[in-house]
Amino acid sequence: MNKNKNTFACLSSLAAASLLAGCGPADDRVTADAGRRILRVAYEREIDVLNAYTSQNLVDIQFSMVEGLVTTNDQNTYIPVLAKRIPTEANGLIVHNDDGSIEMTWELQDNVRWHDGELFTSEDVCFTWRFVSSPGSQTYNRDQYLGIQDCLMPDEHTVVFRWNGVYGYYASIFEAILPEHVLGGMTTEEIVNYTPYNRGDEMVGTGPFRFAEWKSGEYIRVTRNDSYWRGTNLPAVDEIVWSFIPDNNTRLNAMKTGRYHFARIEPTQVAEAEGIEGFEVHRVSSNSFMHLDLSLNTERSRFLFGDPAARRAMFHGIDRTSIAEQLMEGTVKLANSPINPSSPYHNPDIAQPEYDPDRARRMLDDLDWLVGSDGVRSKDGRRFSFVMLNRAGQSDRIALAQVIQAQLKAIGIEVSFETLESAAWTSRWRNGDWEAMVSAWFLSADPSITGQYLCNGPNNMTGMCDPELDELLLGSDRALDFETRKRYLDLAQVRLAETSAMLPIYYNVIPEVVSQRISNYRGSGTNFGSFWNLYEWALEP
Amino acid sequence: MMAYTLRRLLQMIPLLFGISIVLFAVIQAAPGGPEGALLESGRFIDPAVIDAYRERLGVDRPIHIQYFRWLTAAVSGDLGTSFSTTRPVAEMIAERLPATLGLMGSAFVLAAVVSILLGVVSALRQYSWFDHLGTGLSFVGIAMPVFWLALILQLVFGVWLGWLPIAGTETVGDSSLGDRLAHLVLPTVVLSFNYIAGWSRYLRSSMLGVLRADYVRTARAKGLPERRVVGVHALRNALIPLLSIMALNLSSLFSGAVITETVFAWPGIGRMFVQGMFARDYPLLMGILMLGSLMVIIFNLVADLLYGYLDPRIRYD
Repeated sequence: MNKNKNTFACLSSLAAASLLAGCGPADDRVTADAGRRILRVAYEREIDVLNAYTSQNLVDIQFSMVEGLVTTNDQNTYIPVLAKRIPTEANGLIVHNDDGSIEMTWELQDNVRWHDGELFTSEDVCFTWRFVSSPGSQTYNRDQYLGIQDCLMPDEHTVVFRWNGVYGYYASIFEAILPEHVLGGMTTEEIVNYTPYNRGDEMVGTGPFRFAEWKSGEYIRVTRNDSYWRGTNLPAVDEIVWSFIPDNNTRLNAMKTGRYHFARIEPTQVAEAEGIEGFEVHRVSSNSFMHLDLSLNTERSRFLFGDPAARRAMFHGIDRTSIAEQLMEGTVKLANSPINPSSPYHNPDIAQPEYDPDRARRMLDDLDWLVGSDGVRSKDGRRFSFVMLNRAGQSDRIALAQVIQAQLKAIGIEVSFETLESAAWTSRWRNGDWEAMVSAWFLSADPSITGQYLCNGPNNMTGMCDPELDELLLGSDRALDFETRKRYLDLAQVRLAETSAMLPIYYNVIPEVVSQRISNYRGSGTNFGSFWNLYEWALEP
Repeated sequence: MMAYTLRRLLQMIPLLFGISIVLFAVIQAAPGGPEGALLESGRFIDPAVIDAYRERLGVDRPIHIQYFRWLTAAVSGDLGTSFSTTRPVAEMIAERLPATLGLMGSAFVLAAVVSILLGVVSALRQYSWFDHLGTGLSFVGIAMPVFWLALILQLVFGVWLGWLPIAGTETVGDSSLGDRLAHLVLPTVVLSFNYIAGWSRYLRSSMLGVLRADYVRTARAKGLPERRVVGVHALRNALIPLLSIMALNLSSLFSGAVITETVFAWPGIGRMFVQGMFARDYPLLMGILMLGSLMVIIFNLVADLLYGYLDPRIRYD
């Protein structure tokens, strides 16, 4: 018996020791809650790094500490932050040179200091450009910076970019500025791998909050920047804690406990969340649209989908309204174009094929796709049958695919599924080895859709190609003034619908559960997220 | 026993080497690659960025070269750098290990104490209402999915009653021992539940066999108090097979923590493994899996040694 006692004593000691290892003395940076306005966010993932340019996640946490020349607001529009105003031809800050190049002048805020007290200057902006545009910077939209040939610094608070041509998206870049006095002198690879900046120890920004602590796997904590350049009365919150709660159900339960003030949830959880006392659920229209993509990259898919009339007939067989109203429980809006209705570039006058299965059947009959004895249409001895590639874990997309499968079956089209785990799905998607899929793009507030729908666009995964559309898209990218660009994009959206290159289904929503104690919240569905104006959020007692 | 232990420890070296080859091959054989993380957000990506990313990580090289680079670094104690966080893998694991060990340890102690109590009482009162209840609960415990039990407990104790926190290891701003223990309760109960169910059934049947043994009858015939008969003569012998199973189960506790850690937002190794898997963070996955393999081997050795320690009939050559 004594031996057994000893054994258990040992095991218990081991467990206790392990437990105590996690119960060590509190970090002296952890502040007391009493009297402090601490905003607690139940956040859906742990981010990878704090460098806004090398992070592969959406970087809304970073934007509490780091600012750029511009940001996007709740109107899906770029607004200046560290720049005093956005250059345009009208305000004279964009000048065309005779050789076709352009000089674009950015006037910088002149009273801004980094969190460590250093002055923010034009040197930081040019340093950021040099880093992002260098090979290996790992920045997802690096190509958008490559049109800048030079960065000039007439004075400490003025930057002039010399572009080699006209790029309509010029106001959508420089969403963050890096500190030259911290990262200068390093190679690109050294900056990418520089842990003291990536993890926070040397992370300085100009934003309303300073980095305080990153407890691995658990939370990131930022504290008020008492010297914030917008005024000493801002920000109105003392501290923000982003707790990483990846499980959707746990996150919703966490909100129900009342221990957190803000969380993003799934659309299917909206009804449940609306009953939480003291909170409101905001359905933020995301710059992401769910759509059905058809590929022309394989021999069979070209045979099935090569004719726009066949694609259009298929689309008439899909009931988008019932998908939005029933499957998505009325939480989403029907989509008619890739560009979100909250964007000033959205064209509301585009008609997508109405749900009309009889018309779909007639159109397919006219195209010699005739119903066989097994109920599936065929033509030239080949059945109208294809595989839809699904990504495991994306329950909303899989459910949507199942509805489409059933609806297409009703008009004599056979759909089967292949479901792959995320990384495998991505690999197949980029390789073009697929026939159809329910997909979603997350667009920035800049309305350019050229990369996706240009014949040789870098993100054109379907292989769809229309020269007329190409002209409109390229024209939109060459326009610097709003009216001209909108004209091109209006026509491009019409042409995209005419060619039935894809079927927009609905605009995704991001349901956000927000405590009624929070004021000045203005939800935004862009890739900057709803934290774009954290500096003015307040937490009522 | 010392020679046996040393021999087993030496055998670990080629075993771990073989395991590393298999793991590296399996991880790389999974479709997709780390560049998938760039595309996860659905943003437009410059394809040149993807190529540069693969080149920087070295995943564009042949697999045997990648393995050789990993191996040469690993034998010198460098488990590589995480693709997604650009931090040393060893540092990341060391950071998360205490949380996982804390959860494992507390779940183990809870499961051991409760299952022994349940098993002994069920055996002593065979076919009583307590025994039937224990049997029923054990089947429920074995059959119930971990995530479902976790959500039920969250709802009851976190949301409805408001007694316990449901995510993380501490309330930021209140890092007292009481707060940390409160955070530990629900994940511990969930992680230990399956083991309580299994171990208690195992001990019950073991005790039933032992209670009918000749030496127990002899002990009773000698007039020893029932408490001593059960506690010393019966339980000690009935525990022998269970203890070796417990030691073996320690390694499955480690892997079982994956779901529990994810649901309770517990910042342990298991959750980091899931993140690494989706990101195809090869160095991180290798580091965690090698640690897991090492733990399995060590716990097996512990089980073998424990068995010999408790059962005098077993001798090690």
